[in-house]
Amino acid sequence: MATVTAEDNLLPPETRGTPSAFSWSVTVAGAMAVGLVLVGTILIQITFALGPATVTPRCVEAGIRPDNPEETGADGVCDIVEGLESGSQTVTLYLSLGIGAYAVVAGFGAYRSMRTRRRRDQCIAGAALGIQAIAIAGFILWFRTGEIGIFFFQFANAHFLQGTFDAFARGAVNTMKLAVVGELGGIAIGLILALLAISKRAVVRAPARAYINLFRGTPLILQLSLAYFGVILGLQIQAGAITVAMIVLALNTGAYAAEVFRAGLQSIERGQMEAARSLGMSYLQAMRYAIVPQAVRRVIPPLMNEFVILIKDTSLVAVLGLTFAEYELYATGRELYSTNLNATPFIAVAIAYLVVTLPLIGLVNIAERHLRSGLVGIGGEH
Amino acid sequence: MPNDDGSLIKLDGIHKWFGDTHVLKGVDLALDPGQVQVIVGPSGSGKSTLLRCVNLLELPTEGHVWFDGNDITDVRTDINGVRTNIGIVFQAYNLFPHMNVLKNITVALEKVLNVTSGEAKERAMEQLRHVGLDDRADAHPGQLSGGQQQRVAIARALAMRPRLMLFDEVTSALDPELVGEVLAVIRELAEEGMTMMVVTHEMGFAREVGTWMVFMDDGVIAERGEPKAMFANPQTERLQTFLSQVL
Repeated sequence: MATVTAEDNLLPPETRGTPSAFSWSVTVAGAMAVGLVLVGTILIQITFALGPATVTPRCVEAGIRPDNPEETGADGVCDIVEGLESGSQTVTLYLSLGIGAYAVVAGFGAYRSMRTRRRRDQCIAGAALGIQAIAIAGFILWFRTGEIGIFFFQFANAHFLQGTFDAFARGAVNTMKLAVVGELGGIAIGLILALLAISKRAVVRAPARAYINLFRGTPLILQLSLAYFGVILGLQIQAGAITVAMIVLALNTGAYAAEVFRAGLQSIERGQMEAARSLGMSYLQAMRYAIVPQAVRRVIPPLMNEFVILIKDTSLVAVLGLTFAEYELYATGRELYSTNLNATPFIAVAIAYLVVTLPLIGLVNIAERHLRSGLVGIGGEH
Repeated sequence: MPNDDGSLIKLDGIHKWFGDTHVLKGVDLALDPGQVQVIVGPSGSGKSTLLRCVNLLELPTEGHVWFDGNDITDVRTDINGVRTNIGIVFQAYNLFPHMNVLKNITVALEKVLNVTSGEAKERAMEQLRHVGLDDRADAHPGQLSGGQQQRVAIARALAMRPRLMLFDEVTSALDPELVGEVLAVIRELAEEGMTMMVVTHEMGFAREVGTWMVFMDDGVIAERGEPKAMFANPQTERLQTFLSQVL
């Protein structure tokens, strides 16, 4: 191992040159435009949320019904509408558009003539931020032309989430139960299928291929329905919907995991198998001690990706006849929707899925970076 | 017929086809215990394929391989058992990257030869001392230089206590300054009386270490004899051309 010398601790020389007042102005303009539209809009919303909650004439004009505001959440929704339609919001949006436009025009117009790399980077960064600000501000402006009173009453009405936490918590637990059992079963099935699928004998490969193609070639919702209605209602075999769902999810995941494992096994250099066999190991011993442990490491990122997909696919279980206690996240939201005829619970469902999937996606990225360390994206400057 | 001439290994009429390509075109070769057979020849001449036919990493399309009185090309032969007696070292080392050096050596001792873990460790350390790497037993292959990895690969093969060692261009992937340390280990093995077949491009080493030498060209043995005589006085034009190119 190389020893760390004092020289290694020094920073690399700065070779990108100095910024100029102009290039700074472009970057700052772009950042200001984005910051203004995001932070400004949020601050306006907070201000109105803290103010008195009443259903104003403007809200009624925007489609909110003024009767019984405490029982419909109309007063809270009105705050959102008031904020979005306020004069300060309008000023914020047009200011952001203007500053963003300056950043785009100045940045793209001048970046080629910049004398240092640093100035060029600043111009491009400012222009990119400017485009984002224009897109966001433009979207909000377009959005305001619609019936936002009705929209927010339907989709952002916190009133209809009151007292639903327990239901969502139970839904999240059920979703994760389905996903974890499906994934673990799928990994076991997938590994066995993959080992069969890479056999040199066609008679061994054939059943594995048939299984994989069958499950990859038909929709999961159909597999769930056929298994549930076919097994329970057709064969009259006693089994709970959740049990059937877990089995089908594992069988389905197994087919996808098999392809992931197969690619992983085939990516191990031929020499590894030869080395193991030449030491007297049988084919199965070589697989067990030399090949599979290496392949498993390589397929962790794609398997985690499959897991993220599986978490979302558990929502399809809602097509089966579930009892209230068996509701997973999507069924929970759907139930609350049909009770209140208000779509806000679906927004809560989306957030609940993201709470689970975003950290997992982050973990996948870390695992991938860990596995192929040193290779940063092509097109970057590093 | 089998090794009643005193040979340990005997190749008899070996042919090998890869698809439509005829790689080995009838090779006969025998080696007595304690001798070193070096195999030289231009790339593509079939020398590596021939070596890999000895432990059946490549199954000969035609012909027989006799090892210690048994036809190991017979489908009823327990090839895994035979392979524990034939060590091979590859050009690309092929150490198991997920195991440390010690585990690389002990895994086959424990799982194939059913040696206890304590004894396996002892045998592994003995071989690591042999190749001068007993202080790197805990390292992973990725932390070692090419020359060190290749010496571990040699130790791994030797720990099985094979009766025949095969070396398949073991220095070809090494940086020039690392070749010497690997050749020194093989030279020492030869002096200890290990029976070996060595495919190599190192002509000086071939001349020095070989009891016998064969020159392969286009899938056949074009010339055979004692290395010193062959280098001093090549009989065939093909060997003369080859030597003039590599020396």
